[in-house]
Amino acid sequence: MTGSPDMSVVIGSLTLRNPVLTASGTFASGREYADFVDLSRLGAVVTKGVSLKPWAGNASPRIAETACGMLNSIGLQNPGLAVFTQKDLGWLETQDVPVIVNVSGHTVDEYAEICRRLDSDSRVDAFEINISCPNVDAGGMVFGTSCPDAASVVSACRAATSKTLIVKLSPNVTDNTEIARAFVDAGADAVSLINTLLGMAIDIEKRRPKLARVVGGLSGPAIRPVALRMVWQVANAVDVPVIGMGGITNSRDAVEFMLAGATAVAVGTANFVDPTTTMRVVDGLTEYARSEGLVRVEELIGALET
Amino acid sequence: MTGCCGAGEKGHAGERPSLERVDVLSNERIAEGVGLMILHARHTASLVEPGQFVHLRVDKGRDFILRRPFSVHRARGEQIEILYQVLGQGTLAMAELSCSDDIDLIGPLGHGWDVPADVNHALLVSGGLGAAPLGGLAEKLAREGVAVTCAMGAPTQERLVGLDVFEAVARRVVIATDDGSEGELGFVTGPVERLLAEGSFDIVYACGPEVMQRAVAAMCAEVGVRCQVSLERLMACGIGACLSCVVTTKDGLKRACVEGPVFDAEEVCWDVSEIPPKH
Repeated sequence: MTGSPDMSVVIGSLTLRNPVLTASGTFASGREYADFVDLSRLGAVVTKGVSLKPWAGNASPRIAETACGMLNSIGLQNPGLAVFTQKDLGWLETQDVPVIVNVSGHTVDEYAEICRRLDSDSRVDAFEINISCPNVDAGGMVFGTSCPDAASVVSACRAATSKTLIVKLSPNVTDNTEIARAFVDAGADAVSLINTLLGMAIDIEKRRPKLARVVGGLSGPAIRPVALRMVWQVANAVDVPVIGMGGITNSRDAVEFMLAGATAVAVGTANFVDPTTTMRVVDGLTEYARSEGLVRVEELIGALET
Repeated sequence: MTGCCGAGEKGHAGERPSLERVDVLSNERIAEGVGLMILHARHTASLVEPGQFVHLRVDKGRDFILRRPFSVHRARGEQIEILYQVLGQGTLAMAELSCSDDIDLIGPLGHGWDVPADVNHALLVSGGLGAAPLGGLAEKLAREGVAVTCAMGAPTQERLVGLDVFEAVARRVVIATDDGSEGELGFVTGPVERLLAEGSFDIVYACGPEVMQRAVAAMCAEVGVRCQVSLERLMACGIGACLSCVVTTKDGLKRACVEGPVFDAEEVCWDVSEIPPKH
């Protein structure tokens, strides 16, 4: 096999040039990475969470480093939909890359209103509904860990848009497969997972939590085996595409997630460590597909042999 | 709210940062718990402005993953100097790097010191390792014909790091140490207050513990002298995306890595308490 493998994958009504995305909150809207990343070589940009009105986020310190990972409690600080639409979408429009807008809200109506307002915006290709952020008091994970509440958010968003709807799952639940099925029944075209794992760290000299909010979301390579397990479970439970993420640092990690059943993968915390990570993952994944003699990278999805 | 998704204003001249592999040329302990590392960093050295920083990766073989931000002390030719204090696992790993090691950094990053055109006499105030971002500034000011006075504070005489740089270019260097082993006994804010009373300074540049910077900012406000400070925050990405390093300002939250680390003292909301970073 000497030809280049077809790297494209399909999520809902979107065909992505390759399966490598950015994880929401680790890539802003991409502009900060433009010195390091050729955005036109990404499968898609998943933006930082946007809410209807500006959110100030949480008090500092907002991060703490832990073994092979980090805790964050940023709290979805963002300038609100109006600024996002003008500045971020305005800039992304000049880039040759599909845009998946991560939608945050405190109420069902807020989520749906953002989808409604952006439904006719041609600069937006899909929505990722964030009902799994552990760092906000209302909305976020409060929705994502309760099955009926979460499904009502998804139904309201589904009614508000005809664009591809991705729902991001929280790992902070007992059974992710049950919630994933409920989301699909409510109209999700795809699910993405995992969001961060709720954790904490303590400064023993000061006897104080390292995060001002006390608890926060754990990300980075430390969570990868947990994320991989959940992706495998969910991919076996639903018949929509799964976007896998959690500690992906290189293309080997990406292949693992695809073999476990992910149609696409997202790079998150690794962007902070090496801002060129997404490019290395794209190159490495392409090389792996070629060396395995694949015609299409899609052949990897769920190809785990057990 | 500003600075959440703003344009990446970088440096002063608009040059772009890059990810570069660098060689450790030397790495030595110059005082108790303080190291001086000299790196061969062609790109950063050619572009860095005083007060900007580099985001260093020192995690090889370790269980921590994040980069560490360090102000560039001075740039000379293709080399940059990093002054660092061994405070945590990251800086401990740095102290163990040797000449054969190659590491990488992202740089130059951040908004450095502003030097307004009308400045004739600048006061540079450092507390401990706060001297790090002021070294290159002192040299730049002297080159541009600005008179420089330095007020240095440190725990002990041995830890007056950067003194040689200041002495080479400053008209006057005033020292205070916590134990009185050099200069006067006490904090640097004592001499700063007397110097400001002389009334000859157009501008004050301060870096050190946040409590010191806050005190200096208050004294400058009192006498109506402009003041810039370089603030330290925990950072993850260093390039403006993660919003870990926000500083509360009168214009809302700003990112220390992009809009800072140098801020006008007057725009900083000093009341918002921060737990000092530890690396």
